[in-house]
Amino acid sequence: MTPLSSCLMLSALLFSVGFAGVLMRRNAILILIGIELMLNAANLNFIAFWRYGSAPEALTGVMFVIFSIGVAAAEAAVGLALIISIYRHRKTTQIDRINSMRG
Amino acid sequence: MTPFPYAELFSLLVPQIILVLTALAVLAADAFFLRAADTPVRIKSGVVLSLIGCTLTIARTLHTPLQANLLDGMIVLNPLVQQIQIVLLLLTMLTVLLFVSSSFTQHVSEYLALILLATVSMMFLVSTQNLLLIFLALEMLSLSLYILTAFNKSSGQSAEAALKYFLFGGTSAAFLLFGFSLLYGFSNSTNLTHIASTIHGSSLDPLLIVAIVMVIVGLGFKVAAVPFHFWAPDVYQGAPAPSAAFIASGSKVAAFYVLYQVMVIGLAGAEGGATWHTYAPGWVPVLAIVAVLSMVLGNLVAIRQTSVRRLLAYSAMAHAGYMLIGILAHSEQSLPALLYYAITYAVTVLGAFGVVALVEANTGGDTLAHFAGLSRRAPIASFCMFIFLLSLAGIPPLAGFFGKFYLFSAALSTPAPTLGLIWLVVLAVAMSAVSLFYYLRVLKAIYVTDPPADAAPIRTPFVHNLVFGLIAASLVLLGCTPNLLLHWLRHAVDLVASR
Repeated sequence: MTPLSSCLMLSALLFSVGFAGVLMRRNAILILIGIELMLNAANLNFIAFWRYGSAPEALTGVMFVIFSIGVAAAEAAVGLALIISIYRHRKTTQIDRINSMRG
Repeated sequence: MTPFPYAELFSLLVPQIILVLTALAVLAADAFFLRAADTPVRIKSGVVLSLIGCTLTIARTLHTPLQANLLDGMIVLNPLVQQIQIVLLLLTMLTVLLFVSSSFTQHVSEYLALILLATVSMMFLVSTQNLLLIFLALEMLSLSLYILTAFNKSSGQSAEAALKYFLFGGTSAAFLLFGFSLLYGFSNSTNLTHIASTIHGSSLDPLLIVAIVMVIVGLGFKVAAVPFHFWAPDVYQGAPAPSAAFIASGSKVAAFYVLYQVMVIGLAGAEGGATWHTYAPGWVPVLAIVAVLSMVLGNLVAIRQTSVRRLLAYSAMAHAGYMLIGILAHSEQSLPALLYYAITYAVTVLGAFGVVALVEANTGGDTLAHFAGLSRRAPIASFCMFIFLLSLAGIPPLAGFFGKFYLFSAALSTPAPTLGLIWLVVLAVAMSAVSLFYYLRVLKAIYVTDPPADAAPIRTPFVHNLVFGLIAASLVLLGCTPNLLLHWLRHAVDLVASR
C-alpha cells in the first residue's frame, strides 16, 4: 500500500467514526466532537494530497487546512454558545429531549 | 514570483469593505451614542445606518462595472456577479426594514451587524470560483445565520431551532469539506475551471463520484433540498421573523448560484445522464433524485401543516426542487431563468414572512387559526399576502408564474432535451397544482373565516406596509413585464459567455 492510500484509508476511517458519533450520540456536545472529527478527516486528506500530489511546492493544500482549522475553531465557539443557550432553557443537552417543535 | 496584487484586490473589494465598515459603524453608534436611548430609537438609527451602507454599496457596484479574475479564481467579478450582489443587497435592505418595530431583542446593533456581515459573506460567495473561498464564505454565512436564529434569547424555540440548524449545518459542512478535499486531490487545484479541465473520458474516477455526492450533500443542505431538509421547518418556525426571512431569501439565492457554479463550471464533463437507456454516473442523476424528492415530499407534507411558518418551510423545499431543474438543464437559457425564479421567490417569501411576523405580534401565534379573518383586521397586509401566496403558487399574471414558465421552458429547450428532463418538468407542473391547495388554505383563513369576536383592527407600522406594498407591486410589475428583470439577467449572462 502506498503512503497516499494508507493516509486516505485513515481519513476515511476517521470520517466514518465521526459520522457514526454524530448519528448515534444523544448529547449535543458529543455530536459536536463527532463533527470536529469529520472536519479533521478532511484536513488529513488535504495534507495527504498535498504531500504526495504532483505539485507540493504550491502550498494550496496546507493553506486550505490552516483556514479550515480556523473555521473549525469558530464553529466550536458558536456551537458551544448555542449549547449553553439551550441549556439555560431546557436544563439538558440531550437532543432527544429537545424536541418541542415537530410536524 | 509576481508581486501580490494588493492594490487591485483592494479596488475589487471596495463594496465588501464598505459593508464591513457599516457594520462596525452600527456597533459603534449603538455603543457610544445611544446607550441611554430607548430601544425603538436605537432600532431606527441602526436601521437607517445599515440602509445607508447598503445603498452606498449598491451605488459603488453600479458605478464601477468590473471584469476580473484574480488569484487563481479567488475573486471573479463580472456583470452577472455584480447583478446578483445588487439583488442580495436589496434583499438585505428589505430584511433590515422588517426588523423595524421588532421587540424580541435588546441587542439591536449586534443583530444588524450580523445581518450585514452575513451579506458580506454572501457577496464573497457569489464572487468566487475557488473551493477555498467558497468554503470560507459558506461557513461565515452559516455561522452568522446560526447566531441570527438563536437571537431571541427569551424563546426556547429559538435556541432549539439554532441548535438543530447548527448540528445539521456542521455535519454538512464536514461533508462539503471532505468532498472539496477529494476534488483537490483529484485535480491538484482549488480553481473550479482547473478542476473541470482535469475531468475527461466517459468513465468517471470513483474518487470523483464520492466527491460529487459529498459536495451535493453539503450544498443541498444550504438550499434545503430533501433529504437534507430536516433543519428547515424548525428554523423557519423558531427563528425570529427577520432572521427566518433572511435565511429563506438572501442565503437561498446565493446558495443556488454557488451550487450552479460548482456543478456546471467545476464539474463540467462529469454530468452523466439520468434517463433509463443513457444512464451514466455523474452529478445529473444525483441532483435529479434530490429534485424529485424535494418536489414530492415538500408539497405533500406542506398540505398537512397548520403552522404557516412550517408551511412556508415545506413549500421552500418544493421550490428548491423546481429550481434544481434549472441547474439540471444547465443550458444558456437556464441560468437567467433560474436566477429570475430564485430572485422573485426570495422577494415573495420575504414579504410573506413580514406578514407572518405582523400576525404573530398581534395574535401571538402563526397557525391558520391565528390568521382567521385577517382581511377585516389588516386589509392592506392581507391583500399583499394574497398576492405573495398566489405568486408562490404560480398564478398568472404574477411573477411566480413567469418564473416557473421560463424555468420549465428553458429545461425543455435544451439542445438535446432528454426524456428525463421532460418527465421532471411534468412532475413539477403536477406538483405546483398540488401546492395551490395549501396556499389557498391560508388565503381561506384570511378572507373567508370569521375573525374571533374580540378582534380589534391591527395597527400596521407604516414601514411594514411600505415593504409589503413595494414587494407586491414589484411582483405584479415583473409578472406583467417579466423582460425588465429577465433582459437584465440575460444580457449579463451573454456578456459573461462571450468572453
